[in-house]
Amino acid sequence: MAVVDELGLVVEGQYLTVFIPATYKAFVFQVISRLNRGYEVFDYGLIPLSTGDTLASLDTGSVTVPEDGVVPARSMTPLGSGIQFPLDGAYDETDMWYIPPESDYANRLFHEKTKVTPAFLKLGVEIPSGVEQSFFQTKVSGGIDKDFGFRRGEIELVHFPGIHYRLRVANDTNLNVYTYVRFIYAEYVVRIPKDASLICNILRRKIPSYWLSMPIQKCEEEIRRAFEKAYGFEGFPITATEEEIEEILKKAKI
Amino acid sequence: MGELVTFHGKTDGSSTEGVFELESDILHGTVSYIRIPKGMKAKIWAKRIGGAACDLIVEYTHDVTAADPWASPTTMELESLSSSGELKIEKRRPIILRGFTGKEAFRVKWKQSTAAESHIALEVEFDELDS
Repeated sequence: MAVVDELGLVVEGQYLTVFIPATYKAFVFQVISRLNRGYEVFDYGLIPLSTGDTLASLDTGSVTVPEDGVVPARSMTPLGSGIQFPLDGAYDETDMWYIPPESDYANRLFHEKTKVTPAFLKLGVEIPSGVEQSFFQTKVSGGIDKDFGFRRGEIELVHFPGIHYRLRVANDTNLNVYTYVRFIYAEYVVRIPKDASLICNILRRKIPSYWLSMPIQKCEEEIRRAFEKAYGFEGFPITATEEEIEEILKKAKI
Repeated sequence: MGELVTFHGKTDGSSTEGVFELESDILHGTVSYIRIPKGMKAKIWAKRIGGAACDLIVEYTHDVTAADPWASPTTMELESLSSSGELKIEKRRPIILRGFTGKEAFRVKWKQSTAAESHIALEVEFDELDS
């Protein structure tokens, strides 16, 4: 049976492995349920930029947003001022993907693909807010204003509870462009399998699982705290033995 | 990740030559040239010319930030609508304009023997350089 469906989202009962490059650790989840099954498209609309907002220039100085949802020519969202997606009524109305690490939400996981029109816009992500996460040799910082450390048009993420992410956007053309955002997403209810042998085999890629490597090259304390709070540990070292996994599983909260 | 964008422009009706100010559904305002992002290419798939007789010229420069970027551009294509009417040019293979440094750009000019109103539409795809 396929691990993912035609949208690239994990099928119920299958495994999702989210790898954190900064720690060489991964979380292994089993998808129990997909709460929005059949309704995976979220037509969000314009990028939430408002007339008069100030963006950084890719050349010098700053640039003013001329109209709601327009990304001006040669501009980018400054580090620390990336975009969050407001949604009325959401747990956090300023950041629709945020869920708290405690309470009933700890077993929720959003897996989403942000698709931005026009697709030539450069995209990056701050995890958590204000932290650039792309590096070359862990020394040279990348990002939307650099020659590496960005994607164009689409970015795929898993939103961990307790962490605010921000989307960064850059427009390296001379065009002031109207924008559109569509999310393809799944709201999973997940559990961490309690079988150390199973987890070990998933980490060794002997058992099929959908692997997603998160853009986390620098594991801030805020990220570690959120993992501890939501799951009770920071992930399974990908080279861990069954015995080591057994020990870690004793701390698992979900 | 290729994305097609339609650009539209028209002659000013009073000059026998000039540069089209391009507009589009995705554009806020107009532009007289299009800068090609570094690592990407612009593929011009189709051109439509309508109205009075008009030559359409696609010019490319390697550095649009230079003091006089269009002093000696590379002429990539010339299409002629020889008399009033409509000309549709659909290429099986597009004109490809590459962004090597992020400073490359192209623009579209018109030339007419008698100034009159003509319209153009271009289908431009922005795609990764190595696709």
